[in-house]
Amino acid sequence: MSIELPAKSKMRIFVVFLLFISAICGSTNVDTISGEVKIKNVDRIIDCSSQLVKTTSKITLENTGKAPLKNFLLAVESSVKDNLSFLGVKDSNNKDLRLSETVVKGYGDVRFYRVDLKDPLNVGSTAVVVAEAVLTKALQPYPTAITQQEDQLVKFIGNLYFFSPYHVTSQKTNVILNTKTIESFTKVKPFSQLDGTLVYGAYANIGPFTEKELSVHFKNNSPFLTVSRIERLIEVSHWGNIAIEEKIEIEHTGAKLKGPFSRYDYQQDHHSGPASVRSYKTFLPASAADVYYRDTNGNISTSNMKVKKDSVELDLRPRYPLFGGWKTHYTLGYNVPSYEYLYHSGNEYLLKMRVIDHVVDDMQVDELVTKVILPEGAHSIKANFPYPLTRLPDTLHYTYLDTQGRPVITFTKRNVVENHIQDFQLRYTFPTIFMLREPLLVVASLYTLFLCVIIYVRLDFSIHKEAHVKAN
Amino acid sequence: MTVDAQNKAKMPHLSSDKQLTFIKLAVLSMAAILSFATRLFSVLRFESVIHEFDPYFNYRTTRYLTEEGFYKFHNWFDDRAWYPLGRIIGGTIYPGLMVTSATLYNIMQFFNITIDIRNVCVFLAPFFSSLTTIVTYLLTKELKDEGAGLVAAAMIAIVPGYISRSVAGSYDNEGIAIFCMLLTYYFWIKAINTGTILWATMTALAYFYMVSSWGGYVFLINLIPLHVLALMALGRFSARVYVAYSTLYCVGTVLSMQISFVGFQPVQSSEHMLALGTFGLCQLYAFTQYLRERLSPQNFELLFKALLSTLLVTLGTATVLFTVTGKISPWTGRFYSLLDPSYAKNHIPIIASVSEHQPTSWSSFYFDLQVLVFLFPAGLYFCFTKLTDANIFIILYGVLSIYFAGVMVRLMLVLAPVMCIVSGIAASSLLSLHVKDIEPKVEKLEKKKKHENNLVFRSEVGAVFVCVLGCLLVSYVFHCTWVTSEAYSSPSIVLSARAHDGARIIFDDFREAYTWLKMNTPQDAKVMSWWDYGYQITAMANRTVIVDNNTWNNTHISRVGQAMASTEDKAYEIMRELDVDYVLVIFGGLVGYSSDDINKFLWMVRIGGSTDRGAHIREADYYTPSGEFRIDADGSNTLLNCLMYKMSYYKFGLVYTEGGRPPGFDRVRGAEIGNKDFNLEVLEEAYTTEHWLVRIYKVKPLPNRGL
Repeated sequence: MSIELPAKSKMRIFVVFLLFISAICGSTNVDTISGEVKIKNVDRIIDCSSQLVKTTSKITLENTGKAPLKNFLLAVESSVKDNLSFLGVKDSNNKDLRLSETVVKGYGDVRFYRVDLKDPLNVGSTAVVVAEAVLTKALQPYPTAITQQEDQLVKFIGNLYFFSPYHVTSQKTNVILNTKTIESFTKVKPFSQLDGTLVYGAYANIGPFTEKELSVHFKNNSPFLTVSRIERLIEVSHWGNIAIEEKIEIEHTGAKLKGPFSRYDYQQDHHSGPASVRSYKTFLPASAADVYYRDTNGNISTSNMKVKKDSVELDLRPRYPLFGGWKTHYTLGYNVPSYEYLYHSGNEYLLKMRVIDHVVDDMQVDELVTKVILPEGAHSIKANFPYPLTRLPDTLHYTYLDTQGRPVITFTKRNVVENHIQDFQLRYTFPTIFMLREPLLVVASLYTLFLCVIIYVRLDFSIHKEAHVKAN
Repeated sequence: MTVDAQNKAKMPHLSSDKQLTFIKLAVLSMAAILSFATRLFSVLRFESVIHEFDPYFNYRTTRYLTEEGFYKFHNWFDDRAWYPLGRIIGGTIYPGLMVTSATLYNIMQFFNITIDIRNVCVFLAPFFSSLTTIVTYLLTKELKDEGAGLVAAAMIAIVPGYISRSVAGSYDNEGIAIFCMLLTYYFWIKAINTGTILWATMTALAYFYMVSSWGGYVFLINLIPLHVLALMALGRFSARVYVAYSTLYCVGTVLSMQISFVGFQPVQSSEHMLALGTFGLCQLYAFTQYLRERLSPQNFELLFKALLSTLLVTLGTATVLFTVTGKISPWTGRFYSLLDPSYAKNHIPIIASVSEHQPTSWSSFYFDLQVLVFLFPAGLYFCFTKLTDANIFIILYGVLSIYFAGVMVRLMLVLAPVMCIVSGIAASSLLSLHVKDIEPKVEKLEKKKKHENNLVFRSEVGAVFVCVLGCLLVSYVFHCTWVTSEAYSSPSIVLSARAHDGARIIFDDFREAYTWLKMNTPQDAKVMSWWDYGYQITAMANRTVIVDNNTWNNTHISRVGQAMASTEDKAYEIMRELDVDYVLVIFGGLVGYSSDDINKFLWMVRIGGSTDRGAHIREADYYTPSGEFRIDADGSNTLLNCLMYKMSYYKFGLVYTEGGRPPGFDRVRGAEIGNKDFNLEVLEEAYTTEHWLVRIYKVKPLPNRGL
């Protein structure tokens, strides 16, 4: 899967949700469930082949009411709402629909989202929307610890039915596992097993809020890499360069390694340690240059860089292979030219950069902290984020030739996945004359220094003449 | 440099005096820059990284100092080392190095120069060697003249004997101590020449800096009194010397006692007694001079004899008494081995086991000093021809340091500066002698026709001589560069080798293992390894170690040696006793890295057997009946079943290392290992690095009861 897609087209949705036609008002935070909406059909794909659970649901809505339908609701059952990292809805033209969180009285532990349709749905007609959702940490390794030679088995527990406050006339679910090694799975007829895929359904006439456990226990040796913390530092220079440095802590969160690690087996047999991660790829922007990869003990010499047409591909090998429960940390830094990300008109500037960039395919990030260091003297800073982020108090950063400090904008988010690779915008004012400050500072200090030397050399400061005679 | 550039533009209008100043400035600044630049091989080839073992400790303490402040640093009790004893860091180190870099770091931070503390540490030694170059110039200028000073400065900029301890990344005490030492000498010569309290106090301050940074200050505090004694003996003792030495001794001793590691040693230990004695003697000498002026010769003679005999007797008894009661500390082993090279080998295995404490071989004199070895005697000759107070000092320094450098490889460092200074004097004197002959060639030829000169080939001889000396100096430059790049610029934490096709292979196993330890073991895990790797483990892996490079507790190290040399079940008892969680060994058999633990193993056996609890470990048991140390099937049974052997060779018997050899062929020892098929009972392999250089084992917990 490419991660270089434009930001907005990346929206995906999640498994469990509800359609709802809000017959009443459009923009309060409290909604009610309308009985005039029906879901004719749901085609659901649950992709469990990576460490993430990605659900794509194709929903056919039907307006059985008497008024045109402006918006509807999605719901997320309480058991997975903490795992939900991303949710997005698109219409049949592949356009993103506006999504906002809401509540419904009487369903305190269910999370609801209201989706505004582009065009109101006429009475009696149908519309197709696609909802995408990404769940993190929904696959639990079972057993929780394995030896070096064993495969990693994971368990997925979800809802067999499409979670909806409305009546679903017909639904079908595909669970993609990409493996034939399936230890066990829920058997509710009709179902079938094609290589690597479980097909459930079609089930007819399932009522609102129906939950039934869907449990699959299968082999999954894909890399279970969790970025437990990433600190992304963006330093903007108006001299044409933007320096990016990411401090990354990464952990293998799959089944833990039990017993010894045998280097001999690991070297002799390339099938040894199937669940371990030897290396992974990170994609940087195509213009990235001067890449460095190091940790607190120095440079990590085991990495390769390939410059491609639309990206720079880094093949990063940690100092040691990562087995379950093993952690590593490193710093990755590079420069990009500022003309690609920094726009201006007069003294007004606009910085457009990614909130987070790619670390590893199908990544899951527990904590993201992004810091943007603007040039000294920038003021009236306004930030615009593509999705809700927590903005921390601004601070000041002092480095070479700074006198009053550079403003630092910090924002943070938990539970981040690839779908969050989107641009934020930062508007600020920076008087161009400030560009001259640093060179002038150097000139002035050198000038003073030379002046002092000249004065010292030309004038005699001694109180009395040297009286000592060198004696031998 | 801008000033220089301006000068250059105006050069033709400058007076010859100013031209000379400009040339001096240019040569000196070029030498200083060169001395910085030539030490950067390792940074360019590898990266900005700390080298070796001790520098890692210094780096760690410096980081602590910058993070926690001076008082916390001073009171620091380190529970990460010498488990379960711990170590009082603040009171057992020379803090000069750390304080220097922390000060530099803080100054730069104040000016918002956001340089990393690691980079400050890496580049500190080259920076200080630049300063050393300048001080050498000043010192030699005091001894001879400016020309000699410039030659000496250029020589010390690239002398391998000094570079070996001051390349970028070699963050050790010696890096700044040589600067302090030469600075002290410079001020001392100044003080001797002028006899002012100002210069003597400056000497004391420089001496204080020296004391705060290196244990080698003992050399200095013995050399200066020796100089004073020599001046007395030669009848050159004067008021100037009296003022200089008395001030230096009083101020310097009081200051040096402020360093908590030194404490009361300056008045108690025998190493400092010469300085104290000389101080007393100075007072007596001055007093006698005073009396001699006031009394009649007969009365003076009588008084003098009586006083002298009483004094000698009192002093003698006091010394014996204090030594017996232990008030004057006995001479430390390291110092004995200076006087008697075989002392350490016979008595203290832990000192003898360090390669840098071994006696120097002849070849290493040439390797480290090259042409200086030949110029040195010539320089001494020139010093003797014009004997001054200062020249006596440099002669003494040269002769003494030659002796000490012969005893211990490490002290080559002290010899290198004096070699440069004396050789600088020699080269400068010789050149100025002969260049004079060539220069007025045209005039001479004309003159020769008129006056018959008996030195016919004077100018030719001069030219040839200058050429030869020039060639020697050029060869010195090439030799120094070659030695620096080939021998002294390897960080030793990252190894590199050439593959068959000429490509460079990097073995980064040490950092791989330390990072693994840091990230994947519990915070409070205790790691047992041979003491060589203690500093690196605490600094890079941030884990508690049993023993480290600060070899202060012989019995503790011996206990580790016993564990390594015992069989598995015996070793298990020791490891349980020491609370060990992980054991780390270095094994070079796969890639042919020769300084691994099997090659150091005999020292572990010797040190392990040197205490009472290890009396059962006998070196002879680890040899074959014919007295060889072999790891193949003929090796002794004790060796083939000891813990170190098993940890090094676990599963190695299955690996093919070289074509045409059986599996389990050790590339360092050049033999197939003798014990291949064994399992570990009390340990399990926790991690082995990519090239098997570092192997880490986990100590299994006691088995459950009833199983």
